[in-house]
Amino acid sequence: MPNHQQLDNITHKNLRVLTHHHPNFGDTTSYSRLFTSEFRHAQGDYPILFRKNSETGQFEAIALFGFAVEENLFLDDNGWHANYIPLAIQRRPFLIGFEPGSQETQGEPKAVVHIDMDSPRISESEGEAVFLEQGGQSPYLQQVSSVLNAIHQGDTETRAFIDTLLHYELIESVSIKVKLQDGSNNELSSLYSINEEKLTSLAADAVYSLYQRGYMQHIYMVMASMAAMSHLIELKNKQILSTDV
Amino acid sequence: MVDNSIRVITIIGGGTAGWLTAGVIAAEHLANSEQGIEVRLIESPDVNPVGVGEGTWPTMRGTLKKMGISETEFFRECDASFKQGAKFAKWVTGAENDAYYHPLVLPQGYSDINLVPFWQQHADKVSFADAVSFQGYLCERGLAPKQNTTPEYAHVANYAYHLDAGKFSHFLQKHCTQKLGVKHFLDHVTGVNSHENGDIASVSTKQSGDISGDLFIDCSGFHALLIGKHYNVPFISKKHILFNDTALACHVPYPDEQSAIASHTISTGQSSGWIWDIGLPSRRGVGHVFSSKHTTVEKAEVELRDYLRLSRPDIADELKIRQLDINPGHRQVFWKNNCVAVGLAAGFLEPLEASALVLVELSAAMISEQLPATRGVMNIVAKRFNEKFLYRWDRIIDFLKLHYVLTKRTDSQYWIDNCRPETIPEGLQELLTLWRHESPWHQDFTQVDEIFPSASYQYVLYGMGFETQKRATQRRSENAQLADTQFRKNSEMAQKLLAGLPTNRDLINKIRQFGLQKI
Repeated sequence: MPNHQQLDNITHKNLRVLTHHHPNFGDTTSYSRLFTSEFRHAQGDYPILFRKNSETGQFEAIALFGFAVEENLFLDDNGWHANYIPLAIQRRPFLIGFEPGSQETQGEPKAVVHIDMDSPRISESEGEAVFLEQGGQSPYLQQVSSVLNAIHQGDTETRAFIDTLLHYELIESVSIKVKLQDGSNNELSSLYSINEEKLTSLAADAVYSLYQRGYMQHIYMVMASMAAMSHLIELKNKQILSTDV
Repeated sequence: MVDNSIRVITIIGGGTAGWLTAGVIAAEHLANSEQGIEVRLIESPDVNPVGVGEGTWPTMRGTLKKMGISETEFFRECDASFKQGAKFAKWVTGAENDAYYHPLVLPQGYSDINLVPFWQQHADKVSFADAVSFQGYLCERGLAPKQNTTPEYAHVANYAYHLDAGKFSHFLQKHCTQKLGVKHFLDHVTGVNSHENGDIASVSTKQSGDISGDLFIDCSGFHALLIGKHYNVPFISKKHILFNDTALACHVPYPDEQSAIASHTISTGQSSGWIWDIGLPSRRGVGHVFSSKHTTVEKAEVELRDYLRLSRPDIADELKIRQLDINPGHRQVFWKNNCVAVGLAAGFLEPLEASALVLVELSAAMISEQLPATRGVMNIVAKRFNEKFLYRWDRIIDFLKLHYVLTKRTDSQYWIDNCRPETIPEGLQELLTLWRHESPWHQDFTQVDEIFPSASYQYVLYGMGFETQKRATQRRSENAQLADTQFRKNSEMAQKLLAGLPTNRDLINKIRQFGLQKI
């Protein structure tokens, strides 16, 4: 069970966080959420797809790391081998919590930094310090805050982007069949991508509106990211060969 | 030359029948475009629509989808919940443990194999519904028929709806007027003006003057303004077959906001009728429908309050009860001249199998699909419509009666009278004789769009302990291996779904909060 606490410089004065990636740190996940602001950086490494969140049933964008549950082909004991690591992974073990609205925030809930104290990344002896000796924010915490801010903003932007795609019926269900070197067939289901046929037949005013909002670029990033699928297959095949030996 | 094209359809009545019919026709015939048909609906501001049954058939999903309605909005605005069939309690012996399911999914492998003879060998161990379908298990646990990732109108287990008829009718009105181009007149009809050939030319209204139309649809409920009062089409009573003529209805609040919502209709046999129990998200709708020949209103109310006391002992005696008189039967014809009756104006039967709304949907669908292009061909369409719907009413009556004639109850005159041969339609008697030797399957009902398919008959017959004897000879299609595979498939499916489906309440909460996706 996660143990979420609001971060403060008294309770968490001596807190340190292990920031490298390792299978023991809960990084063995086959996908993570991805926000539109990251598409450009992520598309070289990972296939970008859409899936329905099992809690809400709503679409979210994801970066794909593997073909099976808890399979992260980028991760081994030496770390996470990719040029870019998604914000939703970078933030760990921190997360955004909300305080009830106050007069100061005009009734809007206020985003505050929370931490999962049960995360295996938590330490008092190793890793990055969260607070400075006098109680100020460490450069590490400042960087975490900017990651959380980017997620907070990215959540709203990505949702608006996906709503627009749905409005123009540009999302379609895809079935990804992968044949591996050991002859096994792997099928990824419940995933969605851009409907390219619909995209090419879109009316001019719709195309213009997508361009104006910068959405066309995101769309092409998603389409281009499918090239990363062959990289993913390569990684999987390598894994199969190495376990064979 | 007189242009006798059908361009304007005028609907009288703004209940669920009126708005559903308006929506189905307006959506198909482009009422919101210059090139389409014009659909007008006159709704009386003084008449309170009768909320006919709050249960639908799975067909409603297709009907709403075709009208361009979002299922999410429908759930949010109509107090709708999922319905996966019906549970009939105390219909066979009247004992406490006497109950069977009529689920909405077909028996496993239904297109390939009739499982009845194979199930009969194990009838002492498992009920028919549980042997051939997983849906009863889902209902027993109050589970939803889909997940929140299942798209709108798609299902994991086939489903229909329970809904608040008043809210539904208001919701349809909004959709029809704002999206589908239906012209809404809030006015009282005061008279009918005829052409020389007896067709209706227009109806007079209090404030909007005469409103004309090429085709009139009478959705005025029990008033039957056009088909009854104007055309005097005789009403054919079916009370000698289906005895119930009075209903006592009430709304029952839940103990708290998050109480479980049953995902099926519960019908419980009483001494001289039965009680319906329908779970909506905000309340239950419960009512006792009975034969006034066999009991009194006072006694029926005692039975209803006894039933309510089982779940709500705290408030059972205070709940407000409303009495409705019902008259089982239908018009001799439904389409006369340029007027066709839909909904209660066409007829009424007790809500035992939620046949009211499905008849509205089917009527609207046929009118819309076969909409006569000109007055000249209307009589042909009318004749076909009348034949088809007389057939349908008869089949519904047969199917409803089936629930009564298979009872073993002899504890009151009501159940005894229900089994008297003179109260059973001849066709049904013949089928029952036939089914003593062969269980019903695909060929037993001949129309492509039967309301109650042979599977429904199987569920009721074998749920009620009907016995079909074994043939003296064997058939090729009686493949024991295939039957075993199907039974196993069903039980695997049940296990899988029990683990993967949310409760009815949970899913409805999520739909209200997040909505379902269209894809």
